[in-house]
Amino acid sequence: MNKYLKSFLHRGLLFGGFGPVVASIVFLAISHTVDNFSLSAREVFTATFSTYLLAFVHAGASVFNQIEHWSLPKSLLCHFSMLYAAYSLCYVANSWIPFEPKVLLIFSLIFIAVYFVVWIIVYLCVRSTTKKLNGQLR
Amino acid sequence: MKLRILIDKQQEEKILIYAHEKTPLIEEIERLVEDSALGFTGYDEDSQFRLNPADIHCFTVEDGRLYALTDSGKLLIKMRLYQVEEKLSGNFVKINQSCIANIKKIARFDSSVTGTLRVVFKNGYEDYVSRRQIKSVKERLGL
Repeated sequence: MNKYLKSFLHRGLLFGGFGPVVASIVFLAISHTVDNFSLSAREVFTATFSTYLLAFVHAGASVFNQIEHWSLPKSLLCHFSMLYAAYSLCYVANSWIPFEPKVLLIFSLIFIAVYFVVWIIVYLCVRSTTKKLNGQLR
Repeated sequence: MKLRILIDKQQEEKILIYAHEKTPLIEEIERLVEDSALGFTGYDEDSQFRLNPADIHCFTVEDGRLYALTDSGKLLIKMRLYQVEEKLSGNFVKINQSCIANIKKIARFDSSVTGTLRVVFKNGYEDYVSRRQIKSVKERLGL
């Protein structure tokens, strides 16, 4: 099996379980703030299954950054596309956002903005660490 | 510090240091002596070589087999990565789950724009530092 696919599956299986855990914490918080909050068995199943897949894909997709023979635009595009597809499908499947063009457009814009803010923060942190480590090497 | 080397085949080989205190230079000499006493056996297709750890850039696992990367190429090591890790001195640090790097053979660290901390070795080989190992790499480099 391709080592990157193996790594994708390994990371996905390790962290996939965090999806339903986070979802249940969010539901618990909502139940304390919204009166008569309840979920049907179907909604619980959809939320559990989709958030597991979401966390699985989110964890596994980090492998794209380590495929050495891929160019930066290719690895970024694959990472972004996979996360975007997983998040938007999960949100729509759970009816957390309605399936309407206007709402999907707003969701996409927010997703792009958050993705790049997180990306810039991570990059700046790594760059700072790199500078310190190179300073110690000399 | 004065240095005196006596070549004498009749005497036992040893290094003796007189110092006022233990300095980084002495610690470095200690590590080099420990490393040279260790040694690993590397195999290629039809021969085997005795390897001094100081000449090894890194140990890396590929397709379930452990290799030592040196200036002259890649040699198979018939050990497990954790066994090698137990034998090595302070000049080596695990940078991810399948690579142990020789700090003295690291040319530089690079921050990739994908948020990965890359290691570039003096022989041109590149690998990455996993998030789990960043702390120990920093500590080993005195940060």
